[in-house]
Amino acid sequence: MRLSRRSLFGWLGSAAVSLALRSPASAEEASPSVTALPGFTGPGANPYWNGVNPFVTYPQKLPLLRVTDRAVQLETPRPYFLSPFTPNAAFYVRYHLELIPNAIDLRTWRLSVEGNVERPLQIAFDDLVKTFRPVSVAAVNQCSGNSRSRFQPRVPGAQWGNGAMGNALWTGVRLKELLAAARIRPGTVQLQFQGLDRGPGPEGKGADVVMKSLDLTDPALDEAVVAYLMNGEPLPMLNGFPVRLIVPGKFGVYWTKHLAWIRALTREDANYWMATAYRVPDTPRGNTTPADAAGGALKTVPIGHVRMPVRSFIVAPDGSSKLLPGLPVRVQGIAFSGQGPVVKVEFSEDDGRNWVEATLGGDHGPYSFRTWEHTWTPPRPGRHVLAVRATDRTGDVQPDAPVWNPGGYLWNRVERQPLVVGAAS
Amino acid sequence: MDGRRYVGIGLLLVAGGLSQASTALGQPPAKAPGLVEEGKYDSGNLGMQMQPAPRRDDAGPVYAVGPWPNYTLPLADGQGRDVTQSFCGICHSPTYITMQPPLPSATWESEVNKMIRVFGAPIPEAAAQQIIAYLKAHYTPETRKE
Repeated sequence: MRLSRRSLFGWLGSAAVSLALRSPASAEEASPSVTALPGFTGPGANPYWNGVNPFVTYPQKLPLLRVTDRAVQLETPRPYFLSPFTPNAAFYVRYHLELIPNAIDLRTWRLSVEGNVERPLQIAFDDLVKTFRPVSVAAVNQCSGNSRSRFQPRVPGAQWGNGAMGNALWTGVRLKELLAAARIRPGTVQLQFQGLDRGPGPEGKGADVVMKSLDLTDPALDEAVVAYLMNGEPLPMLNGFPVRLIVPGKFGVYWTKHLAWIRALTREDANYWMATAYRVPDTPRGNTTPADAAGGALKTVPIGHVRMPVRSFIVAPDGSSKLLPGLPVRVQGIAFSGQGPVVKVEFSEDDGRNWVEATLGGDHGPYSFRTWEHTWTPPRPGRHVLAVRATDRTGDVQPDAPVWNPGGYLWNRVERQPLVVGAAS
Repeated sequence: MDGRRYVGIGLLLVAGGLSQASTALGQPPAKAPGLVEEGKYDSGNLGMQMQPAPRRDDAGPVYAVGPWPNYTLPLADGQGRDVTQSFCGICHSPTYITMQPPLPSATWESEVNKMIRVFGAPIPEAAAQQIIAYLKAHYTPETRKE
């Protein structure tokens, strides 16, 4: 349906309603007021850029948006995405299980490389840092369910807005060097990763530990890093101190926090976190329908079989102020893809009807956020809808269609920002 | 707060003479061109967050942070709330319920069953039925209010 510009302008008082009807991918006007957002959104799509949750403070963190408090899940507020690197203190947090480390003793801490290896290793922190050559990689960590609150119909799970992502410069040791030191034996099919965080559930059902595995032949392992620095500083506890796995291009669920065990497996990992959870339909974009998902015949694969699809975001202006007609505005944002570098970002001032190429910011590597900007001069008073879309090296362009699957994964629709331009006379 | 403020303004008006009344309270003087409104405050109903004090770390090998704070809003009042909080709370906070969008009854039923059958939550059948009934009564598109 199409509403005229005039009628939309008249609806500003109930913009949420008009947006829900028109475009569930839009970021709601975010004008800060002194009244609180609603406590939840739905059954329609969440119209806000972030989730509606309250600001809270955690150790080593700036006020972030509380999704859940036990286990801890915190979303990064939108303004932190103005810079290509996300500050550690603002970096999002996502745990599955509640027994999160509060204190770790580096005197007794060890990283184990075990299983089907010739020389099992128990590496002390000091040895990890001194024995192996340090490397650095800029890479985006994004939760598989980032933007899940956009799904229609809504699906259960952490109701993230767009802030379950972050980019950091990760410094550590190449995983391949550790594997070479341990000498992986023939017959190894997967590598399994497990961290120190645990849950109170009974053993072996998924609520005691989280384990994720990647095929030994996965090229992502060549670029994987066991990181002990994040943006040049030790990792905050809530981001995986003392070391976490970095798998550039893959979703965050494979980036095991508090990494303590690397296991060479001779059989495919059948634990809950591989066989049941974090699976996506084996279809283009992981797209399906509620009917097909309920039908039981849908073939699924672990989300590690795909790389993060290309995405881009408008960070500013965020609708917090009315704009002036005729005065240029610097529209800024970020883009990334798990499939290699973003090669193009396009900007639309008319809700996605016409596109112009935006200017890309500095190149920090193929898996980093890439900033973009475009100077836009609001032509006249009224309501305007900006849109952005990115293209990556593989030629993938962000589609302007929603995606749906029961897990709430892989959202990458074109993003929009409605804005109000006032009169100057 | 507001009441006291108005009393204060009233005293000022009395002290300054009633001739001033026409320029007080949201009616700026004519010599401020374009000014539409001024001096409005309210009670700050979003609340405030205290600024955290720094930690005092020692130079030993243990790297510690404080306890993880809980920021849990109460579940909707109603029959079954206590049993829901105590059984679900074995593994997670009630924010796992309140953060969800309104979900259909069948989804809540399958979520509770997943906790028991897949994750092994030790919830007796009778309690499970009470939990499902409570979630249906307060957290579906038809029933959710807060």
